[in-house]
Amino acid sequence: MSFPLLTVTAVVPAAGAVVTAAVPAARRTAAKWTALAFALATLVLAAVVTARFSPGGARYQLTESHAWITAFGVRYELGVDGIAVVLVLLTAVLVPFVMLAGWHDADPLETSDRRWRPTQGFFALILLVEAMVVIAFESTDVFLFYVFFEAMLIPMYFLIGGFGDQAGAHGEDEQARQRSYAAVKFLLYNLVGGLVMLAAVIGLYAVTAHQLGAGTFSLPQILHDRANGTLTLSTTAERWIFLGFFFAFAVKAPLWPLHTWLPNAMGESTAPVAVLITAVVDKVGTFAMLRYCLQLFPAASKWATPVILVLAVIGIIYGALLAVGQRDIKRLIAYASISHFGFIILGIFAMTSQGQSGATLYMVNHGVSTAALLLVAGFLISRRGSRRIADFGGVQKVAPLLAGTFLVGGLATLSLPGLGPFVSEFLVLVGTFTRYPALGVIATLGIVLAALYVLVLYQRTMTGPVKAGIEGMKDLKVRELVVVAPLIALLLFLGVYPKPVTDVINPAVKDTLSDVHRTDPPPKVTVPAVAAAKENAK
Amino acid sequence: MNPANYLYLSALLFTIGAAGVLIRRNAIIVFMCVELMLNACNLAFVTFSRLHGNLDGQIIAFFTMVVAAAEVVVGLAIIVTFFRSRHSASVDDADLMKL
Amino acid sequence: MSATAAAVHSLWTTRALADTAATPAIPTPHIEYAQLSPVLIVFGAAVLGVLIEAFAPRAARYAGQLAVSVVGLAAAFAALVALAADGYAQGRSHVAAMGAVAVDGPALFLQGTIVLIALVATFTFAERRLDPVAHGNRVDSFAAQGSAVPGGEQEQKAVRAGFTTTEVFPLLLFAVAGMMIFPAADDLLTLFVSLEVFSLPLYLLCALARRRRLMSQEASVKYFLLGAFSSAILLFGIALLYGYAGTVSYGGIADVVDGTAKLTPALANTTGNDALLLIGGAMVVMGLLFKVAAVPFHMWTPDVYQGAPTPVTGFMAAAVKVAAFGALLRLLYVVLPGMRWDWRPVMWGVAIVTMVVGAIIAVTQTDVKRLLAYSSIAHAGFLLTGVIAVSPSGVSSVLFYLVAYSFVTLGGFAVVTLVRDAGGEATHLSKWAGLGRRSPLLAAVFAVFLLSFAGIPLTAGFSGKFAVFKAAAQGGAVPLVVVGVISSAIAAFFYIRVIVMMFFQEPQPQGPTVAIPSPLTSTAIALGVAVTLVLGVAPQYFLDLAGKAGVFVR
Repeated sequence: MSFPLLTVTAVVPAAGAVVTAAVPAARRTAAKWTALAFALATLVLAAVVTARFSPGGARYQLTESHAWITAFGVRYELGVDGIAVVLVLLTAVLVPFVMLAGWHDADPLETSDRRWRPTQGFFALILLVEAMVVIAFESTDVFLFYVFFEAMLIPMYFLIGGFGDQAGAHGEDEQARQRSYAAVKFLLYNLVGGLVMLAAVIGLYAVTAHQLGAGTFSLPQILHDRANGTLTLSTTAERWIFLGFFFAFAVKAPLWPLHTWLPNAMGESTAPVAVLITAVVDKVGTFAMLRYCLQLFPAASKWATPVILVLAVIGIIYGALLAVGQRDIKRLIAYASISHFGFIILGIFAMTSQGQSGATLYMVNHGVSTAALLLVAGFLISRRGSRRIADFGGVQKVAPLLAGTFLVGGLATLSLPGLGPFVSEFLVLVGTFTRYPALGVIATLGIVLAALYVLVLYQRTMTGPVKAGIEGMKDLKVRELVVVAPLIALLLFLGVYPKPVTDVINPAVKDTLSDVHRTDPPPKVTVPAVAAAKENAK
Repeated sequence: MNPANYLYLSALLFTIGAAGVLIRRNAIIVFMCVELMLNACNLAFVTFSRLHGNLDGQIIAFFTMVVAAAEVVVGLAIIVTFFRSRHSASVDDADLMKL
Repeated sequence: MSATAAAVHSLWTTRALADTAATPAIPTPHIEYAQLSPVLIVFGAAVLGVLIEAFAPRAARYAGQLAVSVVGLAAAFAALVALAADGYAQGRSHVAAMGAVAVDGPALFLQGTIVLIALVATFTFAERRLDPVAHGNRVDSFAAQGSAVPGGEQEQKAVRAGFTTTEVFPLLLFAVAGMMIFPAADDLLTLFVSLEVFSLPLYLLCALARRRRLMSQEASVKYFLLGAFSSAILLFGIALLYGYAGTVSYGGIADVVDGTAKLTPALANTTGNDALLLIGGAMVVMGLLFKVAAVPFHMWTPDVYQGAPTPVTGFMAAAVKVAAFGALLRLLYVVLPGMRWDWRPVMWGVAIVTMVVGAIIAVTQTDVKRLLAYSSIAHAGFLLTGVIAVSPSGVSSVLFYLVAYSFVTLGGFAVVTLVRDAGGEATHLSKWAGLGRRSPLLAAVFAVFLLSFAGIPLTAGFSGKFAVFKAAAQGGAVPLVVVGVISSAIAAFFYIRVIVMMFFQEPQPQGPTVAIPSPLTSTAIALGVAVTLVLGVAPQYFLDLAGKAGVFVR
């Protein structure tokens, strides 16, 4: 038996969570360093996974397979394709930054109660989320995926509700109420989504058990049996089960109109937790659309494509418009994220190779760019003690480094050429354009609006006369620079040279597309942009 | 006489008992109505025993009597304690846990 | 009349000899004591407990009762394991005691579950560290003297003298013995008698709370009157089924229902009357649905769960459900499978209403014990979806769910006993605010239980829910699964609400304190956590066990 690399990648953060939680209450700093060490170890392991992955090789690599619950036909099956490998690496890269950025977020105000250990809890929960997300990316068994897809809600829920932002516009009590409302809303939306998916999962089991004799959840096996005709889903069954799965992923992703939990959750949680939500956990939703919706239910996916694309485009425009109108920095970023998730879903369901490569690349770029922007915004907010845009002004005069990094993060968000998101957004648009020109045009409007909300945000907070409360603002500390600098470097790298990532992604996308029986439409008109994009994709 | 008539009587007694349980307010009377229902069952058992020509029903009737006696012991104990602590045996007074 | 009879004087006469000869000889009953030993051991322990109560000095009773109960239950469990190892659970399934008691897989599995529940419940019954020491005596959750008027002089005397109601242990054992027979009963008479054997001690146990005695007595009166009413209904149903089939044995009735029995003239007459079968079957099922607390027979549950002493509530919530679902399964699967097209639509309706009503009403509750009561109603609905499947996987999924549910419930109620203020247990939800701040470990444990009730993956509740829903879906009841999923979502809302209170709200200044329990209660809670996690993460062994135990004998 070969070394269970994928299991270890998930077990290390889980073990880290246990160890961190067990650190005595008084040794808070020790707990932080322990957690960081485990996160870095996970990063190393994720890097090893990436290095061992060969892009041209088998579809699922580094596979592990053990019987788990035979009575349900559930196996413990892990394996990564190009898309999963990239997202595991993204998760492992972001978590240490999240920890560093939230280094002091969970320090208790008073140390009177020696049993109360929020710091240990905060870092342990982050590690737990990381472990669950990693295993969700790695699993190739629908049930195993579902278990962690649902279970990760619980630590997230405690992170949102337990460690809120102290910088709201209202009093302490109102703040706590808002926070617990946001946490409950997050949990209920996602739980309802997950339970609907549970019904679909059970339906899938009933179908496989009926036709194969023994129920199975193994993705490779189901794909294999469908390909050789031993397993056939009736059109009705396929559509219902698809809808059950898609609903859960659309809530998690989040797709308009199921997005309303995101602004609350991101607004009320601390910036690092918000990064965890939008850059890590939500990616599981879009990833699952690619892996489960498209591969398991190709016919139903094609059937639902028009509606999903329209919803995605509405999400792009709606998110961008609401972002323009926000008065709260974090809620603005949340709505911007909704707009970006619209792009990702658009790219996935356009069913072209550029669209899906772009969407996968977008997941990475959005993760990094949002992390950069949100974490800098978090530093900004904690300095001023307020999230309201109106409370800021002229920051670039007192804290130039802070303002500069904020600008870079913002420019990445509006997809400035030269930064990572540009490449992916361009690919998505080109991929959409070849098949659905009208939707492509409308989606482009989202970019214009993005420029508007980012630049207006920058202008109001950073430029102009220095407002009261801003004068004494300190610039970025070393710890904060350590967080921001690598992220910006990564954005630049991905913007200029995305090839290493796309090389890993492209074979997986090709496999997925062949599952859906879709090929890229032949170019009817030679548009220079299309040709350029194709060059770029290669 | 047609044994079916005993069944009608038994059904009637059972219904009277059930109606009493649902309508009456005094716990003792409610309890007596339950006993009436049990006796209606006994009548039905004995009649069916006669109809089928086997002894099962009659034996069950004895068991029912024993069970009813046990129920009286426990039930009266509970109702009497209840009465002693509130000086009322009305089930309407049992409202400590209403929402 | 013979000639000799005519010779005697006219005040008495001798029996007609010819008649005696015509009566068939009644065979000596043949009782398989070995196969019935688990139940007999528990009964023996209970009788021993009564003797201790009668003859042992007061000071020695507590230790004696506890020892007898624990040893008796452990021995009964050992006997059950031995029977299962002998193959009675599978190949050698058997109907013992002249057709009265089945010894088969489901019976042994459920009896084992009930005995283990009772063992854990015994620990919580025996807990003496929670209530403050009264006049130098450690006291448990039970009244000093059940017969004394609450607040009266006699009660004060009893408290000063340090009396405790040690009768609860034999009462518990009698109830356990009744519950063990209930799911194994193979004729309707045994079903009825065992129902009463376990119900009567429970009525008494409900009335024996040390704190809030009026409420406890009220719960007992309600439980008793409604319980007696439901058992009268059950009995009349039995009478009608007997009238229909001419027998009360499960196999005999099933044969008549299937039309495979030898027709006598009387039978030909009664089997023509379907009303007897339908009404009789319906009334028996109603009696059982009352015990499992299915809507619309659930009215007693919240009041009784709230008023009864919390250890008793935990025991009732877990063990009664196990026993009653066992009996319901056997009745529907062994006696009435021939009429499943009649009862399935009805049970569909009951299951849907139970899940939805249980979940929706729970949302408005403000008392922890009432909340758990409504949650137990909703769980009865989830269990019914597995019952409706009418398949081996339906049986095994219900068995598995019962194990998962009962130990979590026991643990949950054990946690409730620990959160106390001056008036005893602080069961109002508002007092639980900020518990996660004061006592993180306890709050975390309770959160685990709540998550399991809500059916979050990696907990026992999820495995159980998945098992019953899977069985239902394979049985073609997909709409039922959808309703189940929706009501799970509603139910999740109020479990989450409690977690929010515990972790995200500031503790109140005069909030409750958390008592430090003795190892007895700690064991109960730890076992609940262990079962939750083990059945959640690695349920395979127990699913196999339930799967192997999934065949009834007839």
